[in-house]
Amino acid sequence: MARVVVDVMPKPEILDPQGKAVTGALARLGFAGMSVRQGKRFELEVEGEVTEERLAEVRRAAETLLANTVIETFDVRVEPAPASAAEDTDAEVSDAEDSGAEDNGAEENTAAENVAESAEEAELTAQAG
Amino acid sequence: MSPKIGVVTFPGSLDDQDAVRAIRLCGGEPVSLWHGSDDLDGVDAVILPGGFSYGDYLRCGAISRFAPVMAEVIKSADAGMPVLGICNGFQILCEAHLLPGALIRNDVRVFVCKDQDLQVESADTTWTSDFTRGQMITLVLKNGEGGYVADEDTLRRLEDEGRVIFRYVNGNPNGSFHDIAGICNERGNVVGLMPHPEHNVDRLTGPTQDGRAFFSSVFDFLTAKV
Repeated sequence: MARVVVDVMPKPEILDPQGKAVTGALARLGFAGMSVRQGKRFELEVEGEVTEERLAEVRRAAETLLANTVIETFDVRVEPAPASAAEDTDAEVSDAEDSGAEDNGAEENTAAENVAESAEEAELTAQAG
Repeated sequence: MSPKIGVVTFPGSLDDQDAVRAIRLCGGEPVSLWHGSDDLDGVDAVILPGGFSYGDYLRCGAISRFAPVMAEVIKSADAGMPVLGICNGFQILCEAHLLPGALIRNDVRVFVCKDQDLQVESADTTWTSDFTRGQMITLVLKNGEGGYVADEDTLRRLEDEGRVIFRYVNGNPNGSFHDIAGICNERGNVVGLMPHPEHNVDRLTGPTQDGRAFFSSVFDFLTAKV
């Protein structure tokens, strides 16, 4: 499972009454010089590997339902896995080692692959951003 | 035989029963349609009523637009069936891309509920042929997200093609571009507006009976067609 985040914002030329109301409230509270535009953040827990195809599918979902592109823009990005998830992966690897896998080299490869995957994800994030 | 007009009920529709009543009062045969149905029960026209379908979650009309019945509504609208979207129904038609543009939160940031003066800008649609161009009417307006917006090209096209059907007069209540209260598609069979014709069909419950012309217009159209 990976988390893909879709941020949706009203287009700059579209009036944002909610953002205006929040801006006014901030000013009244003494938070000076802050202008707000309000959008939405969607967190999608996506099954399987987040490939470029999968991201394209998320973009289609965003365009179809999550955003109305007449009045809104959206941005899709992969959120890095939280620290706890990374620990889980480590635990799985060590479990495998404990079970007496003969070829340690294979286990190392798996770990290396994981790293490679993370790097790929980071790259995808950069592209999506 | 009186024309059969379907009224779709979505979860959260409010004015479906008023629309059904208005159709009956004006001489048509109302047919209640369920959002989960994939059949229009042989109706001659469809009304998408006002309300807060799906609690206005995500965006007004955004989820209803994908209700099973909407696949049939879109298909029939493309084939020329008269479709009227009132308030939330207008928002659904825009989300479904049967009409261009979108409805956003009122610029005044409050829910507006009033008797709204309107100018009829076009009688060349299946739902407005019993009006005359330039006629001043009053209909109930009640919404929180009735600000009509569209890009410059779309607005120009709507104006040039005479597809702005109603304009707010004596004050713009919600920040709609070009004071737009209602528009139609290219063919004139799909009309959407924020004010409520179905609340203006008898003296007891409405400020005027200006809503009746919507129903008589579509009845005329359907009778002539038969």
